[in-house]
Amino acid sequence: MATTTADRHAGGDSRDSFGRLVLAEWTKLRSVPRWALAMLAAVVLTVLVSVLAAAGNSYGGGGPGLPIGPDGRAVRDQFYFVHQPLTGDGGVTAKVLSQIVVKGESREWAKAGVIIKESTKPGSQYAAMMITPGHGVRLQSNFTTDRAGSQATTTPRWLRLTRSGTSVTGYESADGANWAQVGAVQLPALPRRVEVGLFVASPFAIKVERQFGSGSVRASPTSSTARFSDVVVTAAQPGQPPPWSDQAVGGSDRVPGPLLGGASQAGGVFTVTGSGDIAPSPQDVDGVRESLTGVPVGVMVIIAVAVLFITSEYRQGMIRTTFAASPRRGRVLAAKAIVVGASTFVVGLAASFASVLFALPILRANGLAAPVFQVPSLSDGPVLRAIAGTAAVLALLAVLGLAAGAILRRSPGAIIVVVVPLLIPQLIAGALPLAAARWLLLATPAAGYSIQQTTAQPYDFVSSICLPEDGCFTTGPWVGFGVLCAYTAVALAAGFWLLRRRDA
Amino acid sequence: MDATIEIQNLRKRYGTTVAVDGLSFTVAPGRVTGFVGPNGAGKSTTMRVILGLDAPDEGSALVGGQPYQRLRCPLRQVGALLDAAAFHPGRRARDHLLWIAQSNGMPRRRVDEVLDLVGLASAARRRAGGFSLGMRQRLGIAGALLGDPPVLLFDEPVNGLDPDGIRWIRGLLRSLATEGRAVLVSSHLMGELEGSADHLVVIGRGRLIVDTSVRDLLAAASGDQVVLRTSKRSEAMTVLANAGATVAATEREEVTVSGLPADRVVALLTGHGVPFSEVAAHRASLEEAYMELTRDAVEFAAPTGGEA
Repeated sequence: MATTTADRHAGGDSRDSFGRLVLAEWTKLRSVPRWALAMLAAVVLTVLVSVLAAAGNSYGGGGPGLPIGPDGRAVRDQFYFVHQPLTGDGGVTAKVLSQIVVKGESREWAKAGVIIKESTKPGSQYAAMMITPGHGVRLQSNFTTDRAGSQATTTPRWLRLTRSGTSVTGYESADGANWAQVGAVQLPALPRRVEVGLFVASPFAIKVERQFGSGSVRASPTSSTARFSDVVVTAAQPGQPPPWSDQAVGGSDRVPGPLLGGASQAGGVFTVTGSGDIAPSPQDVDGVRESLTGVPVGVMVIIAVAVLFITSEYRQGMIRTTFAASPRRGRVLAAKAIVVGASTFVVGLAASFASVLFALPILRANGLAAPVFQVPSLSDGPVLRAIAGTAAVLALLAVLGLAAGAILRRSPGAIIVVVVPLLIPQLIAGALPLAAARWLLLATPAAGYSIQQTTAQPYDFVSSICLPEDGCFTTGPWVGFGVLCAYTAVALAAGFWLLRRRDA
Repeated sequence: MDATIEIQNLRKRYGTTVAVDGLSFTVAPGRVTGFVGPNGAGKSTTMRVILGLDAPDEGSALVGGQPYQRLRCPLRQVGALLDAAAFHPGRRARDHLLWIAQSNGMPRRRVDEVLDLVGLASAARRRAGGFSLGMRQRLGIAGALLGDPPVLLFDEPVNGLDPDGIRWIRGLLRSLATEGRAVLVSSHLMGELEGSADHLVVIGRGRLIVDTSVRDLLAAASGDQVVLRTSKRSEAMTVLANAGATVAATEREEVTVSGLPADRVVALLTGHGVPFSEVAAHRASLEEAYMELTRDAVEFAAPTGGEA
């Protein structure tokens, strides 16, 4: 548009006149009863489908016998433990000579090191210094805390834990002489008498196999072996050191006999073989996302209304009245985008909030409950983000539909152009190889739904199954949202350009 | 604002079809300007260009000396009826006018005023989709009048109206012009403008054929003929021919006289004692004048393209 002096002088007036345009577009939107009804239907449809889907799902949970961790949540606590009791302050030091995964495919998070644990009861409190083949030296405690030490993955490596009251401090060293502190953790409820010693764990190998048309997720047990030397337990209270004992903590029927592990000692060198993991129980079901199942259904109605909001004007010739009333067409499109986006946001907020509100209790009653699953609460940050984010995604899709309508000027074409790239990736992602599915669900407007993710990858030190069609995006909630924003911005820009260039 | 429309050397092409081809004319305030031409002559295109809806390839269309796009509250300066069906059928008549009013910052009461003005007050809360053709035209006109603009454009406003509606629109156009507004009314039938237009712009195939006042056009078409009705046809013809007039027997008791004014005809016949029942100056209809005009000017037999 040619910027003239008159334009600049009319600056204040121009903001004013934009407000009038927004008001006029709002009158247009609200005064067609069919559109208002459709918006209402979108809410009802979304909530209904969400509730019905929730009622039809049941969750068996992560299997019986998962121990409960200190924070009341289900955890995995399975490893081979060579231990002796320690009363009061003290510590344990060991040199990890070597670490080998003897069986299984995944070695990234195999763990070998020293541990101070409340008792041998699975789920009890602990702090551990460990070396892992894939992630170097770590200090972990009570299943959910993880602190990285050096990135050294080579053995030998010296590890040390010292207890002082409720505080446990971890150290590492390359030579046993120069020590570096990795960190300190607080274990407030740690009893006076604890078990200290060596441990080896090796988590299940999770393998996702997908081809066009078929997919499978397999978890197979692994075991690893580590050799330790220079094992010293220091106690504040002097006395005869108690004898070592060893056992498989949390051994369950899910681990075959030969993998339960064992320990032997010869000339001060301990050889320990263990299986399992000390970690939070990975949560594969995102309860909030499950309770928003109806959104992709309701969005179809919303997109149709948004497209019609402009294409109906072309169809009836009313677009000429509109552009005669406001010759600056870019402002008309902006006003339309604001009106349809804001209305959809409000409608979407009602739909997603009601969906979560009604569907979540049903999911909970069907087994999506503590301790196996994290129970999302409506006041949790990620849950609020998912609800408001869903409304924002709907608003963006509505604006995308509006822009497509402005570009194509015909309802069927515009609806297809928006709905197909939104729907198809979700339908076929499950049948694609993982990399292709991830790419597809991140490169299309459907990526916006990643904002609904509330629980995926809560702990980056646990491998979990992350399938994009289940709403798990390795890139987190915002990248996909950004992709949708980019699509909408590009479509709007194209709409602006065409509206200004074309005869009405 | 100066209430005029100035079209300067306007050219507009759609693909290979030339819709308007070097058109220039001016619509002056205080009169109704008829914009006449057959379907496809370029009337609607010209109106769309005036309203800034279509961009001209060449030339300009100025409203009050400015391009339409430059107007900040355009509906307060130009009101237009382009297409009587240009509304969403599900919207109430009142809401349709309300958004138009809001877009140009006009008060809500103005909507009720124009609804009253066009006689739709009782249908204000009805859905426009259920309106008859006449009511649709009235709704469209109400939209054009919302901003009380000094310049008005009506594209085929009487199309498909019943005689009552036609009479109403004629009266409205006349009163709008009397109030000093510039009114441009297009039609493909010259007869529709009879009795309402003061000035005519006739175009064909996107070119100007004539730009004239209605009075001059009619005078030119009527010539100075006098129609005489008499039972003594041959006597009358003799008398008048002797006085130097050209006479022709047009009907059984009718003679058309050229070359003598009516009062001279009356004096001659009275002097010679020839009885007659009527002497009248001939008045051509606009339709006749238009046919006369276009017969010479342009070949309309096969206008190309649709309504452009």
